[in-house]
Amino acid sequence: MLIVRPSTFSDLASIEKLANHNSAKISTLPQQRDKLSEKIDASTRSFAADESMEGKEQFLLVMENSETGEVLGTAGIDRCAGNGQPFYNYRQDELIHSSHQLHVNNHIPVLYMTHELTGKTLFCSLSIDSKYRNTDYFELLSRSRLLLIGLFKERFDEDIIIEIQGVSDEDGGYPFWDSLGRHFFDMDFATADYYSGIKSKTFIAELMPSHPIYVPLLSEEAQTVVGRPNALAEKNCQLLHREGFRVGKHIDIFDGGPTLEAHVNHLNTVKSMQSKSTKVSESTRGGVKYLICNGSFSDFRCVVGQLTDGIGDVIRINQTLAKDLNVSENECITFAAL
Amino acid sequence: MMIIRPINANDFTDLCHLAKNTGFGVTSLPDNPDLLQTKIEKAEKAFAEKVDPSHAKYMFVLEDTNSKKIVGVCGIEAQVGLEEVWYNYRISTTVNASIELGVHNQTPTLYLTNDLTGCSEVCSLFLDACYRKNSNGLLLSKSRFLFLADFPEMFSEKVFAEMRGYSDEQGHSPFWEALGKKFFTMEFSRADYLTGVGGKAFIAELMPKYPIYLPFLSKEAQKVVGLVHENTEPARAMLEAEGFNFNGFIDIFDGGPAIEAFVNNIRAVRESFKLHAQVVKNLKDTNGNNQPLYLVSNRAFSNYRVALVSGSSICQDTVDISVELAEQLQIRSGDIVRAVSLREVKR
Repeated sequence: MLIVRPSTFSDLASIEKLANHNSAKISTLPQQRDKLSEKIDASTRSFAADESMEGKEQFLLVMENSETGEVLGTAGIDRCAGNGQPFYNYRQDELIHSSHQLHVNNHIPVLYMTHELTGKTLFCSLSIDSKYRNTDYFELLSRSRLLLIGLFKERFDEDIIIEIQGVSDEDGGYPFWDSLGRHFFDMDFATADYYSGIKSKTFIAELMPSHPIYVPLLSEEAQTVVGRPNALAEKNCQLLHREGFRVGKHIDIFDGGPTLEAHVNHLNTVKSMQSKSTKVSESTRGGVKYLICNGSFSDFRCVVGQLTDGIGDVIRINQTLAKDLNVSENECITFAAL
Repeated sequence: MMIIRPINANDFTDLCHLAKNTGFGVTSLPDNPDLLQTKIEKAEKAFAEKVDPSHAKYMFVLEDTNSKKIVGVCGIEAQVGLEEVWYNYRISTTVNASIELGVHNQTPTLYLTNDLTGCSEVCSLFLDACYRKNSNGLLLSKSRFLFLADFPEMFSEKVFAEMRGYSDEQGHSPFWEALGKKFFTMEFSRADYLTGVGGKAFIAELMPKYPIYLPFLSKEAQKVVGLVHENTEPARAMLEAEGFNFNGFIDIFDGGPAIEAFVNNIRAVRESFKLHAQVVKNLKDTNGNNQPLYLVSNRAFSNYRVALVSGSSICQDTVDISVELAEQLQIRSGDIVRAVSLREVKR
C-alpha cells in the first residue's frame, strides 16, 4: 500500500536517493543531505504548528510504500511563496510601440521582475520514482495536497501557485537561462540551480538584473520557450489543468517555465471532496477508486482506495484502509473521485 | 580663394547638389529639397535676427570664390532638444556581485536619456570630395569654433558632435539590426532618412524606453557601440585633438558616439586671440614656407566670414591681409579680427 504522509527524519536517506535520481531538475528539492534535513525539520515543525515556522511554513509530504518503508515520491507545499523572503518571477506583459505618422504599431513583449506572488501558497518539490509516473499514484501524490489544503483552508493562502519546469534542450541546457541569466552569472543553469538549492532562490534572484527585459532581444530559442513547460512536466500540467489551474502571466526567472495559478475554491478536488464519518468493517467488496484522506493535520494520511459511497453521512471502510489512514470508527475521512 | 560665410537663399541649388552626394549617415543633410529649403530659411533667420537659442540653427558654407560654387557646409545648433525631444543612449555599468558565489559581473547597460538637451551641437559637416585637400576640411569644421569664441552668449557652455556610427559597405548598421529594427520593421536607411527630415522624435518614441543590457545585442552590435564610420575617423580625431571627449553618449540608431567639450576648453576657442587687420597691397604669398596656417574671422555676426591666412602674416598684434582677402572678409585696415592657428602649435 502506498501512503502519502508528512515526512520524517527517517525518510532522509530515501528522499536523498530520490532527489539525486531526479538530477538537477527540482530546485526546491535540494540534493544535499543537510539541506534536505533542514527541509524535513521545517516540515516537521510546520505540521506541528510550531511558532518558529509561523508565516513560513513548509510542508513536505512523502509517498511511502508501507510494506518496505521506501519513499517513492515527494510533494511539498510552502505556505507562503518565498518563505519569508521575496519570491521572484518575471511577469509577461506587453508594450505597444506605436506611431501614427510612421504607420507602425508593434506589440513588444516585456518581462518585468516582480514579487507579487510572494506569500501565495506554493506547490513545490514534486518528485516521483519513474516507475510510478504513469500510475494512479502520481495523481495520489500530486492531489493529496489539494485534499490537505481543502480540509485546512485557514492554514494556507487562498491563491495557489505552481511553478512548472521550463524547456531544456537535448544537452540539458536551458535556452532561456543561456540567453538571460547567464549573461549576468557566467555559469550554466545546473550550477546556478545548485547554488539556488544550497543558498536560496531569492539569493540568486537578487543578483539578477532588475530592469525589464525586452523579449525580442533574447535569442530566438529563448523567445520560443518563454512560458512553455518542459515535456517532463506535461503529465502534471494536464492534471493541474483538469483541476482548474490556469497559466498565469508569471514565468520563472531562471528557466522561463510557466506558473500555474488557481483560487483554492475553484479547484475541482476541493469543490467535489466529501467528508463522512466511518464505519469500519471486517472487509468491504467492490466500490470505486477514490483519493481518501483522514481528517488530521499533523498526522495527515492520504491513499488511493475503493469506497462504495451511498446516501447518508456514514461510509463503510475496511480495516486495512482504517489502519493505513490511522482512523477509528466514527472518525471522519475525506474523499474525492480519482 | 576659400571662404566660410553664412548660407543664403542663393545657395539652394548647390546645397541640393551636395546633399545628393552625402550618402547614408549624414542625417542632418538629407536629400530632400523641401527640407533643405527650410534649413536655409532657418539659418538666414538665425543670422539676421539673433533668434532665441532654442530655435537658432546656424549653417555655414564653404565657397570657392573663383568658381563661386559652394563646396561644403557645416552647422551649429545653438541648443538641441528644446523643440523636439533629443535622445541618446548613455552607456552605464551594472554590477552583479556575490562574494560567496565568486560572481562579479559588470554589464554595460544602455540608458535612454535626454541628457544633451540644451547643449550646442556642431553638425551637418559635409565637404565635396574634390575639395578634400589643402586644409579645406579643417577650415570648414573649425570655423565654427571661432564663431563660438566670438559669440559665446548665443550658445550653451557645452557643445557636442554626433559622429556617424559604424555601418558596412551595404549601409547596414549592426547596432540598428540588433536593437532598433527589433522594435519596428524598418531599414536603417529609412530610419536615418526620417531622422533627417525631422522624424527623429517619432522614431525615438518607438524605441525601447527601459535600459538595455548590452549582452542582449548581437556580438557585432556590441563591437560597434561608440565606434564611428571609417569615413568619420579623421573628423573624430580632429575633434578629439581640439578637446572633445567621448563620455558614453551614443546615437540611439547606429550607436555612433556623441563627443563633447566645454566651449572654453576647445583649443581653437581657448587659444584664439584678437588682433588688428592691416590690409596690404601685393602681399607675398608665403604659404609655401611651411608656415602654420591661421583661421581668421571678421567677428561680424550676420556677415560672418572666416578664411585661412599664413602664420607669416601675423605679427605682434596685427595680421597682414591681402586686398582680395580683405574684400572677401569684408574688413578694412584697423578692424579687429579673431585668429587661431589651424592646428595646435607644438611649443
